[in-house]
Amino acid sequence: MNVRAQISMAMNLDKCIGCHTCSVTCKNVWTNRAGAEYMWWNNVETRPGPGYPRQWENQDRYNGGWAIDGGKLKLRIEIKRDYKPPGLDDYYQPWTYDYDVLFSEKQTDQQPVARPISLIDGQPMDVAYGPNWNDDLAGTDLLLEDPNLDPVQRSIYAQFKDVFMMYLPRICNHCLNPSCLAACPRKAIYKREEDGIVLVDQSRCRGYRFCVAACPYKKVYYNWKTGRSEKCIFCYPRIEAGQPTVCSLTCVGKIRYIGVLLYDADKVLDVAAEPDPTRLVRRFIDEVLLDPFDPNVVSAARSAGIPDDWITAARRSPVYKMVKRWQVAFPLHPEFRTLPMVFYVPPLSPVVTAFEQTYGAKITDVFPRVSELRIPVKYLASMFTAGDTALVEQALKKLIAVRIYERSKNVAEPGLADRARQALAEAGLTEQDAEEMYRLFAIARYEDRFVIPTNPKRYANQPQVQRGVAGLP
Amino acid sequence: MRTELLLPGVALAVAVVLAALGVMVVTAQGPAVLVKFVNGDLPVDPASPAWPKPVVVPLTSQILVYPLPPAVENRTVSVAAVYNGTHIAFLLEWRDDTEDVARPGGLDVFPDAVAVQFPVSRAQLPYICMGTVDNPVNIIYWRAGVGVQNLVAGAGYGLSPQQREALGLQATPTSPVELLPESAQVVQAYAVYRNDTWYVVFVRPLGSVHPLMASLSGDFSAAFAVWEGSKGERGGLKATSSWVQFRLEKPTAAPPPTPAVTTVTQTLAQVVETTPTWAWAVIGVLVALLAVMAGLALRRG
Repeated sequence: MNVRAQISMAMNLDKCIGCHTCSVTCKNVWTNRAGAEYMWWNNVETRPGPGYPRQWENQDRYNGGWAIDGGKLKLRIEIKRDYKPPGLDDYYQPWTYDYDVLFSEKQTDQQPVARPISLIDGQPMDVAYGPNWNDDLAGTDLLLEDPNLDPVQRSIYAQFKDVFMMYLPRICNHCLNPSCLAACPRKAIYKREEDGIVLVDQSRCRGYRFCVAACPYKKVYYNWKTGRSEKCIFCYPRIEAGQPTVCSLTCVGKIRYIGVLLYDADKVLDVAAEPDPTRLVRRFIDEVLLDPFDPNVVSAARSAGIPDDWITAARRSPVYKMVKRWQVAFPLHPEFRTLPMVFYVPPLSPVVTAFEQTYGAKITDVFPRVSELRIPVKYLASMFTAGDTALVEQALKKLIAVRIYERSKNVAEPGLADRARQALAEAGLTEQDAEEMYRLFAIARYEDRFVIPTNPKRYANQPQVQRGVAGLP
Repeated sequence: MRTELLLPGVALAVAVVLAALGVMVVTAQGPAVLVKFVNGDLPVDPASPAWPKPVVVPLTSQILVYPLPPAVENRTVSVAAVYNGTHIAFLLEWRDDTEDVARPGGLDVFPDAVAVQFPVSRAQLPYICMGTVDNPVNIIYWRAGVGVQNLVAGAGYGLSPQQREALGLQATPTSPVELLPESAQVVQAYAVYRNDTWYVVFVRPLGSVHPLMASLSGDFSAAFAVWEGSKGERGGLKATSSWVQFRLEKPTAAPPPTPAVTTVTQTLAQVVETTPTWAWAVIGVLVALLAVMAGLALRRG
């Protein structure tokens, strides 16, 4: 066992209100620069939809991530010998508006209009795509580009009454098996020993963009001004000081949780090469992620040099609870085989009893059954479990059971308490679990959502080696 | 099963043959280029009649490291060179059906590019694939829309931080290929794209202005690499040549002034940046001594 510790994130999609505050604050802190106009290290997608860059999940188009080739794990860009990164049109042409005209225009019969102008060359332009275009102005045709919708779902989706939506905030997943890192011939990308954050060393990067092509999430971006690539840094200067990332701190819905996960580095490649994609998530959770309460894990972690405060933090970690203990949070597109370390609690759909008459929804209770949820389980499974619907169903069952249980505490309805107990039993939860889940998901405080040990600096470089790189000569 | 054995077998056979021919492969020479002597200014226009007839240099795929380009390669680069006693100019021409120039917002644009590498030392030809730690190469690297850089490759990891600082390099190397300091960015490039062909002229001093820059004031060797941007070529995806011999033509007309030794003028910042630590210690002690003496003088007064 080769124990490592990583700072990881979980997002409870049920609570995302799609306000994009995370994206905007991230932009203001990190990518408010020339060359980075089109970059959104954090972006929020309204799904179904083609996302940003357009159809990023379609690896026939972008060749991102890993695939099994002749029994071996290989980069798709290598298998296909196609190293092309996306162009600006695949992301979008960044624009602002010519606001100046509102002040300088001479008085005429018409209102002055602030036309869109390119953020790159300042010239007037037609806006044709954006970072969340389907939710902005585009309409249904674009929604159907979503690679997670199979043909049947596409036809279902066109029926208004069965329409569904959800928000998907995305950052770099700081993967355990990062394909961006593997693709870099300059070894400019590295995964930090102490907390697993994946970074691009700007002094080593030569701007070849193999990483951009190889990342299946398209979360490495090429800065055309500096000629180098850059990406989400998990706000490491804040994390090192025990502070949450900017996106997490400013999240209005409080959907984000940050905590330590312990994992077995020796298992990473073996699990990433699992031939059956639908087994990836189960093996990831069971074999790669470790239980910080297991004495064997703790002693191996200690001998690997992980400090005690990190092991304590791993035990309190909200991400550990969601991913490993309750198994209600899953990685995004595990079939790309990078073993992402950002996890998502799949959303329950809105409670729609009131609309039963109007739209003919087939609802049997205040809380629908998993099979009656508006967002098809198959769609969620395509996104989070490589098609393993059973995993998503059991997670949703748990989330619904907790709601029924909480309702039974507050609503005097005959038989409700029995039903709550039954729901919990079916979901495999105890009342104590339900209480704890409720506290963490619904009313968690800052210190429960963000359990971030400070950086031990135990791997920090020797100052004399750093001499001349930073500070005085 | 048979195919599984076949590949390693073939590889082994090739390796044995290569090992046997090792010395020959490493030192194999391409065609020789005569560097014509001109009086006065060097031509910067590719169409100038001052250029001698270019020599065609065949290129092959880089086949050592990821990412591997396709094995079949039939591109060539044509090379002509002239010198005038202080400077030397190279004209490189190669066919490229698409003009790919770096531009703002060009996220998927890979500029067409060309590079020339020279051995830093004349003692022995360096490893053709961008030198080694003990035998580095000096590279002129030009990219369309980006410009020209004077680089050194291979040297980085063979020097101590003190040596590197004295050479104006960052104390710790970040890459096997490094930009030489500002004072050594003495190469000019002039590029024209015409009739599906790139014409790039490099002009640089004949001598060296940096210990890691090659001096070309005698016969020398050079190797070439070309990148075609429209095919996504960058980094290791490139076509390269073997070493090509360059011979300087004897000056025919009035003997030119002897090759000027280029003096490097240092700015204050460069002095500060390149002064070794021990010198600062000495300066510190001197300042302290002065302060003590001044203090004593004041007390006496």
